Amino acid sequence: MNRLFKFFMLGVLIALIAAVAMPIAAQDGVVEPAGPGEGGVIVESNLGSDPSTFNPVIGNDTASSAVYGLLYSVSIIAADDQTYELLPGIPDGMAADWEYDESGTVLTITLREDMFWSDGEQISADDWIWAVNAVRSGTTTSPRSGVFYDLADGTINGGSIHEVTKIDDFTIEVRLGTVETDENGETVLDENGNPSLLPACDALGDLNDIAVVPEHIFAAQFGEDYASMDSDPYFYGGASFGPFNDPFMDFGVQVSLLANQEYGDTNALDYVAAGEWVYQVIADTNVGYERFLAGDFSTYGINAENQNAFRDLADESGDFQYQEAGQNGYQWVGLNLADPANPLPARDADGNIQDQGLHPIFGDLNVRLAFAHGIDVLEMIGTRPDGDSPATGILEGNGFPIAVHDHPVFSTTRELYEDLGVGVREYDPELAMSLLEEAGWVDSDGDGVRECQGCLYATEVDPSFEGSPLTFVLNTNAGNAARESIGETVKAQLDQIGFDVDFQAVEFGTLVDVLTSQTFDAIILGWNLGLPFQPGPSLTNLFGYGVDVPGSGFNFTSYANPEFNDILTEMSAIPGCDPDTRNAAYAEAQRMLWEDAPYIWLYSGNVMAAAQSNLANWDPILPGNASWNIDDWVVLDPNN
Amino acid sequence: MTRHIIRRLIQSIPTLLGVTILSYLLMTAAPGDPIRQMTFGDPNMTPQQREALADRYGLNDPWYIQYIVYMTGNDWMPWKYDENGEFKEVVVRRGILRGDWGNSITKRSAVIDLIEVRLPATIELGLATFLVSLIVGIPIGIGAAVWHGKLFDNGSRILAVLGQAVPDFWLALLLLLTFGITLNIDWARGGRCDARANRRTPCGQVPITQRLEYLIFPTLVLSLGGVAGYSRFMRTSMLDTINSDYIRTARAKGLHDRTVWFKHAARNALIPIATFLGPAVVGILGGAVIIERIFSWPGLGQLFLEGISQRDYPIVMASVIIGALLTVIAYIISDILYAVFDPRIRF
Repeated sequence: MNRLFKFFMLGVLIALIAAVAMPIAAQDGVVEPAGPGEGGVIVESNLGSDPSTFNPVIGNDTASSAVYGLLYSVSIIAADDQTYELLPGIPDGMAADWEYDESGTVLTITLREDMFWSDGEQISADDWIWAVNAVRSGTTTSPRSGVFYDLADGTINGGSIHEVTKIDDFTIEVRLGTVETDENGETVLDENGNPSLLPACDALGDLNDIAVVPEHIFAAQFGEDYASMDSDPYFYGGASFGPFNDPFMDFGVQVSLLANQEYGDTNALDYVAAGEWVYQVIADTNVGYERFLAGDFSTYGINAENQNAFRDLADESGDFQYQEAGQNGYQWVGLNLADPANPLPARDADGNIQDQGLHPIFGDLNVRLAFAHGIDVLEMIGTRPDGDSPATGILEGNGFPIAVHDHPVFSTTRELYEDLGVGVREYDPELAMSLLEEAGWVDSDGDGVRECQGCLYATEVDPSFEGSPLTFVLNTNAGNAARESIGETVKAQLDQIGFDVDFQAVEFGTLVDVLTSQTFDAIILGWNLGLPFQPGPSLTNLFGYGVDVPGSGFNFTSYANPEFNDILTEMSAIPGCDPDTRNAAYAEAQRMLWEDAPYIWLYSGNVMAAAQSNLANWDPILPGNASWNIDDWVVLDPNN
Repeated sequence: MTRHIIRRLIQSIPTLLGVTILSYLLMTAAPGDPIRQMTFGDPNMTPQQREALADRYGLNDPWYIQYIVYMTGNDWMPWKYDENGEFKEVVVRRGILRGDWGNSITKRSAVIDLIEVRLPATIELGLATFLVSLIVGIPIGIGAAVWHGKLFDNGSRILAVLGQAVPDFWLALLLLLTFGITLNIDWARGGRCDARANRRTPCGQVPITQRLEYLIFPTLVLSLGGVAGYSRFMRTSMLDTINSDYIRTARAKGLHDRTVWFKHAARNALIPIATFLGPAVVGILGGAVIIERIFSWPGLGQLFLEGISQRDYPIVMASVIIGALLTVIAYIISDILYAVFDPRIRF
């Protein structure tokens, strides 16, 4: 009995100690700290340089958006954390509801009335409209003025937002759409002399390009001198709507934010759990990874080359938690289809589609297809280690092949285009060689490099090209180990089938110059795709006529397909914007793109988000929303 | 001496002007464009917006106009005003000759502000490196000369070879991984202070005595080459000196060895060292770029590296001008030291 009593008392004592030393209670699977703001300090790594601003109206770099995203997490129309679907009445969204008029070009947004800045001021229409006017003024460095059809000084930008009007404090009317043109390409005017609009099916998301800031503070500071925001980039007026506020910056070292317990749209808990968020500058990614392993950072994005080792380490040690998913983008080889000696825009000065000439090698579809079949993408991706078998390939198995331009995770068209026959092109050197023979590229002198013997360029453009070798320059950016390895692999494999590849890894600024000036032959790069992913705008922004402009456009391969462009134009403003109709059309556009092969689509990598095991409530939604519930995160280690 | 310094300063003006002209020309002629690079990957940017941004920073002007604006500003140029006398450009520039270093394109802030917050960290590391290099290197050199051909001399030679052969970045990573990660010593993982213990206090405001340990590894790595160089140079200089007539005379007078070596020989042997002390400071600042990166040291090197890779012209020019100024000043200091160590020298 005495012994039993001792055990009982020991148990009580342990329970008491546990209650005092670990003030963490599990409730519905959510770990709670001892109280609001007592959940420790979250430390995240900033693998770059200092944020350039705390102001979301003008900011555009990754470091800045990481900070102001926590200060001003409010947007006019919020997207669902899981699906990225724009929905009314959800956390962080001002819109309680919205509706279009009959024409589909006038949007009336009713705002929530339960949102307040941390200084107690109610969030209203003025807070968004001030930022709208600032960006539309065209006097700031904001990169987002492209969403407006025109700027305050009358400059035509061509965006979808035409007019924003405050109806009352909680109602906003937005006129948005695509300008209607007649058969001659002239703008059709309405009865008021304004451009007549067609519904723009993807324009809703454009509204979110303009931030929401406390008008009562920003207007008091800057008035209508919007340009002066750029002279005061770290201005913070003391009011936020987000889990953190009160930014403090030690240049080159870190940014620190404190918990904002006035934040009204918290997730699982009714308060912000952590007391502080620290964003520490780490210039070297290898050092960053090692420092995460040493416990310096609460979370970290694990690079492809470390993923297998980290997975093993985390599984064995239990010191870390991690989640994996497909990447929010993909790697590609872009092939210049037009004459690199004379780069021209897709449209001439009068807006007519013009002939841009042929690239001597990649102007021929058969050569592009030979390229696609001549490289082994699966070998590049490789395999993960398995027992005694070591990992293989550039990605060591942490990725998957991509068939065509599409979001690797959030695709709405994949099944449809796969039904149309679109798929990953197989590695088939024999087929590649026969395609080259068919295209008039033959190794007549037996030196291993093919020469033009009746190739397209010699027959269609310049007969003196006959006999020229099948040689081209393949570029990528120096310092990206994976892309440099891809370049070496592509060179080795294409050289085997009769190409002579001059692979050059050049400094990024130089690469951007060569790429955008459209003077390149072939380039290896990657896209990071935006979320929510909309196939129409995405295809238009990368492969449309409008962005084939030497010096600035993203259609630097000069892909020009009138049917493809017709689909994009028609579907951007189709009455009713029926998603099934549009997805079917976009799948058809993707099929055309795949068949024409301006890109050789390579792979999408694996994204791995990791955290220390002592970070409770960490629940990333990958690939793009790792911090959606940061207000719930609790650092359990009392020493932190 | 004062006249000499003034003369040298005046002579440096055309040198500095030449450096700025050449740098601006090379910078703008090199491939890469700050606006294209900054906006690359943003499909919502229209060509018009890019043009507007380039206009804002004056990048659409020919390079020589850009250079003149950089040096003298744009507010005096009549063609920058419309018929109503309104200034047509968004940003008024006063030019570096009037103290305006311009605004960073990518970092938005005034370049002078960016330099101001990072310069103390660079000076701190540079000074520590310089002092350690001298304090360790010179005695080793003297010792190697005193005991030349002996174990100490041979040991110092090996140390010198290693010091100059081992790549800085490799040693820095090795130290960080061994001490910071394997042995889990917080300060060995880099930074300028214990940011956790000094929450929301800039590292620069934490007394240096409370963060000396953060200087150890960056200083060690950066000073290794200096220690190697100074010790070998000092050794050679000392050996030259001890064969001089006046040293033989001193010995003949029966002076103690220690007095001969350290009072008579060492002082004269230091004269050649003085000639490259100034330029060595500039070398340390240049070499710190990679070490600042590895040890997350918030100095100018990191800022300049980012500026160059992002084609941020005002930052690139600031790095060139600071480098050129430091070099000019360093050579003047060398001249002064030369006169201090050798009273025979008069300018």
